[in-house]
Amino acid sequence: MTGKKEARARRALLGAGGYHGTGILLAIFFLAPFAITILSSFRHGTEARLPPIPPWPTTGFSLDAYRGLDSFGAGVWQHTLNSAAVAIGTALLTVVVSLLAGYGFSRYRFMFKNALFVLIIATLMIPFQSILTPLFIILAKLGLNNSLIGLTLVYVTLQLPFSVFMMRNAFDAVPKEIEEAARIDGARDLKLLVRVLLPLVLPGIVTVAIFAFLNSWNEFLAALVLLSDNSKFTLPILISAVRAGRLGAIDWGAVQAGVTVMSVPCLFVFLLLQRYYMRGLMAGAVK
Amino acid sequence: MSDNGVQLIEVRKSYGSMEVIHGVNLSIPDGAFVVFVGPSGCGKSTLLRMIAGLEEVTDGEIAIKGRDVTDVDPSQRGIAMVFQSYALYPHMTVRDNLAFGLKMQRTDKAVIDERVAAAAAILKIEQLLDRRPGQLSGGQRQRVAIGRAIVRQPEVFLFDEPLSNLDAELRVSMRVEIARLHRELGNTMIYVTHDQTEAMTLADVIVVLRDGRVEQAGPPRTVYEDPDNAFVAGFIGSPRMNLLDAVWRGNGKVEIAGQVEAAPISGAGLVPGDKVTFGLRPEHLIVGATDGIMARVDVLEYLGGTRYLYCQLTDGQPLIVEYRDGPDVRSGDTITLGCPENRRYIFNESGARIR
Repeated sequence: MTGKKEARARRALLGAGGYHGTGILLAIFFLAPFAITILSSFRHGTEARLPPIPPWPTTGFSLDAYRGLDSFGAGVWQHTLNSAAVAIGTALLTVVVSLLAGYGFSRYRFMFKNALFVLIIATLMIPFQSILTPLFIILAKLGLNNSLIGLTLVYVTLQLPFSVFMMRNAFDAVPKEIEEAARIDGARDLKLLVRVLLPLVLPGIVTVAIFAFLNSWNEFLAALVLLSDNSKFTLPILISAVRAGRLGAIDWGAVQAGVTVMSVPCLFVFLLLQRYYMRGLMAGAVK
Repeated sequence: MSDNGVQLIEVRKSYGSMEVIHGVNLSIPDGAFVVFVGPSGCGKSTLLRMIAGLEEVTDGEIAIKGRDVTDVDPSQRGIAMVFQSYALYPHMTVRDNLAFGLKMQRTDKAVIDERVAAAAAILKIEQLLDRRPGQLSGGQRQRVAIGRAIVRQPEVFLFDEPLSNLDAELRVSMRVEIARLHRELGNTMIYVTHDQTEAMTLADVIVVLRDGRVEQAGPPRTVYEDPDNAFVAGFIGSPRMNLLDAVWRGNGKVEIAGQVEAAPISGAGLVPGDKVTFGLRPEHLIVGATDGIMARVDVLEYLGGTRYLYCQLTDGQPLIVEYRDGPDVRSGDTITLGCPENRRYIFNESGARIR
C-alpha cells in the first residue's frame, strides 16, 4: 500500500518537475537575448568592444553606451519622443478608424459592402515598398513630407486593412440581441457604441492597438525614405546610424543601448495591454 | 380589459420583393396575455420584433395604447423585450444590467435604486445583484433578463421564446413564474413560442400564424375545440389531429377508406363526391366501439398513463390513437374506433373548416 502511494507521489513529483523544468528552460531561451542586451549595454566603453563573453559588465557598471548613443543625431530623447509620437498617434488613429469601420462593416447593410471589404483586404497583398514612391509624391503634394504627421498617416494607412478586418470580426462576435436590447433600453449611436459595444470588443481593440504600436515603432523603410530632417528621425533610423558607426568603427555598446531603448517600451506596452485579453469576456451574454 | 392594448392594422413586412408578413390585423386587449404560435419561419418573431420596433414596418400601422408607434424609436414605445438568448450586458453587474435602461433615460438615482430593488424582490434575485451574467445559471440569467424588462415599467412586455434555452424542469417553473408575473403586474404581454404547452397554459388569446398570415386568433379552448381550418387543427394539440382523406357522400355522411361515417355538418357548399378532410383527435378516439372505423395497429408506444397506437386504415392512411384504459391491444390487432359526433371535424379541399 505505502509502496504504491510512494510511487504515485514520486511520479507526480517527476511530472511537476518536468512541466516546470520545460517551462523554465523555454523562458530562459526567450528571456536570454533581453538579459544579454540589457546587461551588456551597461559595460564600459572599452569593454564594449571586447568579445561579449561574459555578457555582463565585469569592470563596473557604466552608462557610457547610453552617452554614446545620445551623441548621435539629435539626442536619444528627441528620437525616442519622435518614435513615441508616431507610434502612439498611429495606434490611436488606427483604433478610432478601424473601430468605426469594423462596426459599419459588421452591422450596416449598404451597397457593395462585400466588394468594398474585399478591396480593403486585398490591399494587404500589395507590397508596400512598391508604393513608397507614389506615397512620397502624394505626401510631398500635401506638404506632409519630412513630417511626423505625414509618417503617422502613412502608418495608419498601412495598418488599416488588417485592423478593419480584426474589428469587423470582433463586432461580428457580439450577439445582435445585445445591441437590440440596448436599443430598447434607449442607447443609440455613439452611446450604444461606447457604453455597450466598446467593452465587448475590447480584446479586438487591444490587438489592433498593440499591432499598430509595434509595427509603427519598429518600421524602418518608410521612415528612412519619408523623413529627411535629422531631428525628426525615429529610433530605427537612429539605430541604423549607430550601427553604421563613425569612421568605420562600430560602437557596439551604443548599439546594445539603442536596442534596449527600443525594446523596453514595446515590452511595457504589451504587458500593459495584455491583461485586456480577458478570456470569457462575453460569457453570460447569451445562452 | 379595455380594447386599446396593442393594435396591428394591415401590417406588412417585405425583404426586397419578398413579402413575409401579409397584412396582419390584430387587436390585443389591454392586459391580455397573447401568445403567437406557429411553425418556424411563420413570421411570429418578425411580427414581435416589428411591435418592438427592431424591424421596420413596410406597410400598415402599429398602435400601442391608442398611440401610433409605427415609426417611433424602440425605447419610446413603452415596450420591454425579453430575448431567447437573454442578451444581458456581460460586462455589467446584474444591478447595472437592470439599471441601464433607466440610466439611459436619465432617471433619478433614487428612483433607479428603488425600481431595481423592487424588480429584484419580485424575481427573487436580490442576492445576485453584484454578480456578472457569466457567474449565473441559465434560469438566473433569464430572471435578470425579465427583471430588466420589469424596471422599465412598460405598457407591453414582449417575450421572444424566453424559455427555449432552459432545461425541461426549469422551463416548467419559469412558465409558472411568468404566469404569476402577469397576474401581479397586469400588463399586456405578447409571447412568442413554438411550444404548444406554453401557448395553451399561458395564453388568454392564442394567435396561430402560418407563412406570415394569422390563421386563427382566440382563447386556447376555442382554438383547440373549434379550429377554423385544418392547419390550426393539426398544429394545436399533441399528438396532432389525424387528418384523413375522405369523400363527401351527402346527407351528413362521409366515406373514409371505404367506410361511411356520420359527419355532423349540413354540408352546405359541398356536392356529393367532393373530396374533404376528416379530422379526428387521437384523444377523442374510442377503441373497441361496436361500429366505427377499422384500423390495424402497427406500433404501440407505452407511456405509463397512456398509450399511443400508431395504426393504419384499410387503405393505408396512418392514424394515431390515444388509448388509456381497456383490454390489452397488441400490434397487429385490428381495432374498431369510434368518436363522439361533436368531436368530428370536416375541412374542405382548401383546408377551411365546414361547420
